[in-house]
Amino acid sequence: MSDERVKELLEELKDGVINYDEDRVIAAAKAVVEEGLDATNAVFHGLIPGMEEVGRLYEEQEYFVPELLMCADALYAGLDIMKPHMEKKDIGIAGVVVMGVVQGDVHDIGKNIVKMMFDVAGFQVFDLGRDVPLDKFVEEQLRTDSDLVCLSAMMTTTMVGMKDIIRKIKEKNPKCKIMIGGAPVSEEIAENFGADGYAKDASNALKDAINMLSTLRKLQEESA
Amino acid sequence: MALTPKERVLNLFAGKEVDRVACYSGMGNVTVAGLNELGYKFPKVHGDAKMMADLAATSYKMFGFECALVPFDLCVEAEVLGCEMNAYENVDQLLYPTIKEKAIHNQEEMATFVVPDNIANAGRVPVVSEAIRLLRKDIGDDVAIGTYLVAPFTLAGQLMDLNDLFKLSFKKPDLVNQMLDRLADVLIKIAAIYREAGVDYICVREMGATTDILSPRSFKAIIQPHLKKIHAALDFPNVLHICGSTNFVIPQMNDCGADAISIETKNDMVKTREDIGLEPLVFGNIDAYSVLCLQGVDDVEKAVISALELGVDAIWPGCDIWPEAKPENVKAMVDATKKYGAEKWARKK
Repeated sequence: MSDERVKELLEELKDGVINYDEDRVIAAAKAVVEEGLDATNAVFHGLIPGMEEVGRLYEEQEYFVPELLMCADALYAGLDIMKPHMEKKDIGIAGVVVMGVVQGDVHDIGKNIVKMMFDVAGFQVFDLGRDVPLDKFVEEQLRTDSDLVCLSAMMTTTMVGMKDIIRKIKEKNPKCKIMIGGAPVSEEIAENFGADGYAKDASNALKDAINMLSTLRKLQEESA
Repeated sequence: MALTPKERVLNLFAGKEVDRVACYSGMGNVTVAGLNELGYKFPKVHGDAKMMADLAATSYKMFGFECALVPFDLCVEAEVLGCEMNAYENVDQLLYPTIKEKAIHNQEEMATFVVPDNIANAGRVPVVSEAIRLLRKDIGDDVAIGTYLVAPFTLAGQLMDLNDLFKLSFKKPDLVNQMLDRLADVLIKIAAIYREAGVDYICVREMGATTDILSPRSFKAIIQPHLKKIHAALDFPNVLHICGSTNFVIPQMNDCGADAISIETKNDMVKTREDIGLEPLVFGNIDAYSVLCLQGVDDVEKAVISALELGVDAIWPGCDIWPEAKPENVKAMVDATKKYGAEKWARKK
C-alpha cells in the first residue's frame, strides 16, 4: 500500500471520529482490513488521534457530552471492525482495570467514556456497570487482581459510598491504585477518601486516559 | 420586626421588606440525626405520608432550618409515568432512591408514552400531597412548606436511556422537544396538585442540564423553552435550580421566568451578579457535602458569610444535604444566618 493511501485512510478514521461520522469511519475501517493496512497502526494513528482532538474540543467547550457520545460511537464502529485484526502482542495487555458506578447512582456516561479509552488502549476491562453494590468492587478487585479500580459517581449523595470501597480494597490489596471521578468529586474529597487520583469531570478523565495512551503509544513506537 | 420563618421566606418573594435572609432549601434537607430522633429508616419514609411529614419537620424542629420540604427523592414524577423506583431497602448504607425500570424504550415511545388521566392519584403523588397537608397542620403557620419537581430534561433522562436522550437532542431535536413539552404539561399539573395541598414554594430542578454536559446552544434549544413554560404556569413562589458552574447559562436561566435562581458553589457568583445584575433573587451556595459533612462549625460560618457577601438572597445548600451532615454544622448554618443575615446581606446595603 502506498504511503499516500495509508495517510489517506488514517485521516479518514481521524476525521470520521472528530465529525462523529460513523459511516465514514466504517468505510475507512473496512478499507484498512481489505487493503491490508496494519490494524494496530490504524487504531493508534487514526482513531486515537481523532479522539484526542475530540478531547481537546471538549475541553475548549466546543463539544459537549452529546457530541462526545456520538464521537465515541464512531470510534467504536471503527474499533469493532479492526480489533479482530489487531494482534494481542502488538498492543499487549496494558493492565487490568475494574470499573463501575457506585450503588445509588445510575449515571454511567462518564464511566463509559473512560472505559472506551481503556478499551482502545488494550486494557483488560472488567466493567461492573452502574448502581454496583460496594462489596462487588472489592470482590472483583481480589478476583481479577486488577492494577486499577475506577469508581464513578455523578451525585453528591452517592459519592460517599466510595470511601468504604477504597478503605476495604486498600486493606486487602495496598498495591492497587484507585481513581475516582464524577461531578461532585474534588481533590479534597479524593484525599479525604484515600484515593490515588481523581478526575473532576469527563474532560479530566478523558485527558488522564489520553495521557496514559500517549505514553503507551510512545512505548509501542520505541519497541517497534 | 419579628418575622416567622414563613413570613421571611414568602415576603421576599412578594417584594416586601424582610429583616434578614432566611436559611432554607428547595432540595432535600433531612438528616440522619432527624431519622434517629424519630427512629425511622430512610427507605421506609418515601412511601408513607406521615413518616415523610414527620421527617421533613425535623430540620426545623431540631435546627431551626426555615422550611419543611417533601419529598426527599427524585423518582416521584418518573413513577407517575410508569417507571419503577428502587428504595434500597436491603442496603445498610443510606441511599437516595433511583429509577430501576425505564418506561420508554425506543423513539416511538418517546412520542406515545401514556400520561395517566388522574395524576393526583398516580404513583406517590397522593403520598407527597398528604405529607404536605400534614406539614401544613403541624408547622405550616410558622414555616414555609416547600416541594420540588424534576424538570423535563432531567425527567426524560430517567424515563429513557440517557445516552440516547443526549444523542437524540442533537440528531432529532424536534422529537426530544415534543417529548419535553408533554413532560412540562405533566409537571405543571403535579405542581398544581401540590399547591392545592398547601405548598408555599416550589423548586424546579433541571440538574441534568449542567454546562459541562450541554452546550449553551443546546440549553437554548432543548432546555429553556420548557422551563419558560413551567415557570409561566406556576402562580406561586418558584425557584429554578441547575447544578454545576452554570455561569455560561445564567442569563438564560434568569430569562426562564422563575422568581429566584438557585446555584451551587461551583457557580462564580461575582460573575453571575455581573451578568444578571443585582435585581434577580439568587439563592445558594453552601456546599452541601464538603462544608456540612466534612468541615467544622467555623468553616460553616465562613461559608455563610462568604455567600452573603457574594450576594445571595437566601442561605441555601447548593444540592440535597447529604443526610450524614454533622448536626452541629446544620445548626451552625442556621445560627450564622441569624447572626449575619442582615448585616452582611449585599441587598440590604
